[in-house]
Amino acid sequence: MWVRVVIAKCSVDYAGRLNAHLPLATRLLMLKGDGSVLIHSDGGSYKPLNWMSPPCTLSAIEVEPDQAEAGITEIWKVTHAKTADLLVINIHEMFSDTSHDLGVDPGLIKDGVEADLQKLLAEHIETLGEGHTLVRREYYTAIGPVDILARDAMGVHVAVELKRRGDIDGVEQLTRYLELMNRDPLLAPVTGVFAAQEIKPQARTLAEDRGIRCVVLDYDALRGLANHNTLF
Amino acid sequence: MKFTVNRDVFSEAVSFVVKLLPQRTTLPLLSGALIEADGSTLTLSSFDYEVSARTQVTADVEAGGRALVSGRLLNDIANRLPQAPIVISTEDGRIQVKCGSVSFSLPAMPVDEYPTVPQIDDVSGLVPGEDFASAIAQVSLAASKDDVTPVITGVQFEINENSLGLIATDRYRVAVREIDWENSMSGDALTALVPARIVTEVGKTFAHSTTVSVAIVSKDERELISFTADNKTVTSLLIKGNFPPVRRLFPEKVENYAVVNTNDLIEATNRVGLVLDREAALRFSFREGSVTLEAAGSEAAQASETIDAHLAGDDTVVSLKPQFLLDGLRSAHSEYARISFTKTDNPNKPGPVLITSQTSKDEAGLDSYKYLLQPNLLLR
Repeated sequence: MWVRVVIAKCSVDYAGRLNAHLPLATRLLMLKGDGSVLIHSDGGSYKPLNWMSPPCTLSAIEVEPDQAEAGITEIWKVTHAKTADLLVINIHEMFSDTSHDLGVDPGLIKDGVEADLQKLLAEHIETLGEGHTLVRREYYTAIGPVDILARDAMGVHVAVELKRRGDIDGVEQLTRYLELMNRDPLLAPVTGVFAAQEIKPQARTLAEDRGIRCVVLDYDALRGLANHNTLF
Repeated sequence: MKFTVNRDVFSEAVSFVVKLLPQRTTLPLLSGALIEADGSTLTLSSFDYEVSARTQVTADVEAGGRALVSGRLLNDIANRLPQAPIVISTEDGRIQVKCGSVSFSLPAMPVDEYPTVPQIDDVSGLVPGEDFASAIAQVSLAASKDDVTPVITGVQFEINENSLGLIATDRYRVAVREIDWENSMSGDALTALVPARIVTEVGKTFAHSTTVSVAIVSKDERELISFTADNKTVTSLLIKGNFPPVRRLFPEKVENYAVVNTNDLIEATNRVGLVLDREAALRFSFREGSVTLEAAGSEAAQASETIDAHLAGDDTVVSLKPQFLLDGLRSAHSEYARISFTKTDNPNKPGPVLITSQTSKDEAGLDSYKYLLQPNLLLR
């Protein structure tokens, strides 16, 4: 997968579901390995001025004499494969044109806060309730690791699924772990705790219906950051 | 089952029962309103294993029986029916509602699978309805809406001999009020932690009742509280856990305080607060004779206003979140309010501010309402 980065003075026309025109100016053109073409200005953060999503094809078309007279040196036509959308880039002057091979993308690494929450909750396991003790973090099962395995005050195993934002998917995940863990005679019975900084109402309803306890975590309090605007 | 009932009586009863239905239930049965006709009494109930509502009204019962029907639909229908007697009957697994020339046919839910609605005959004590409602309105707004600490999403009931104390906090403020309690139980001290949502609804329901009887009981390892008046009963499971010992946060004695006209300060706070960003605090400078409110918002917007105030003790500057102050002032339910300042040794945390009611500039209010608020750190 190669990414091509071009800095050029160009004007851009988009035709299809909407018509848009970008007047002549110096812009950053990004041609990604997946075929997408994005036109950026020096602003607007991550958002391009205009773009074409894949699947699409880029082809250079011939510059007519009257267009050449107007100063156009190259014309790129980006056509969407499924819709009739069309992006035409009229390049007047090319300042830079480089290509790089970015290699295989490792994807987004597990969210920093989530990993931190796991560590903090393991350190403050009594947040789950009085008398709780930690068995271990990342308890491995055949279908993946459970974030935290603990025991409650009665010594019953508690499997904890941790999320930053708790939604239905997290509850489903924990349900699968619980089903598997409860087949293990050395672990069973295992109860579930769904812990997150924020739990969606639907997720809470589903969790409680399945007998899974919901615990909302205060990240700042776990980190020991005191809020001085409270009474206690 | 077949009975005839007065339109307004029925509509009021249904609306009471339906108000406490769960918002989101995984058991569709629990979204139903239970209708029971027997003798000359019509009983309506709702129950979701945590909260129940039950009321009895007089009806002309032709044939006794029980039925379960979608609560919200029944409520919507009851509210829109014309002024005529309502005849409700069951026919072939459907519920027929007839009123004047209107008729509805609703599907019935299986009534045999409906759980038994808790019935509590004990009485722990009695409270005057009006005081109870006003105490609830004053206190319950301070309860936390955040699920991080479930124990403070409730209102704490503290019964001590002849008084019932209501306490709520969200850690930013604490509201407390005591009312008369006519004890009818064997012991004389008891606490119960009740979900704030239910307490608020109870306050609204029984605002016009003369006395409300309260019972706190243990049943099948579950602790319940019930409120009854005028043939209406609300029960709720108690929240488990220990309420934080917030009473000790209140200062025993304060020398430094200001007395302000409640409405003047509410209006000034609302006006000056217009330029503030959300979550930002207002600066209040109390001097003898006046208090100056200053706000600075984004985009360099500023506002200030000075109103009359009577100050006892030193000049004081505090930074308070407008909404928290407004809640305290409005709940004082009095023409004047006393704002007391406490001292602290912690340079990173100002001493809390106490709001109490005041009937005139010099006379303290008659009720026991107290609202303790943590000011923000002064930034300049």
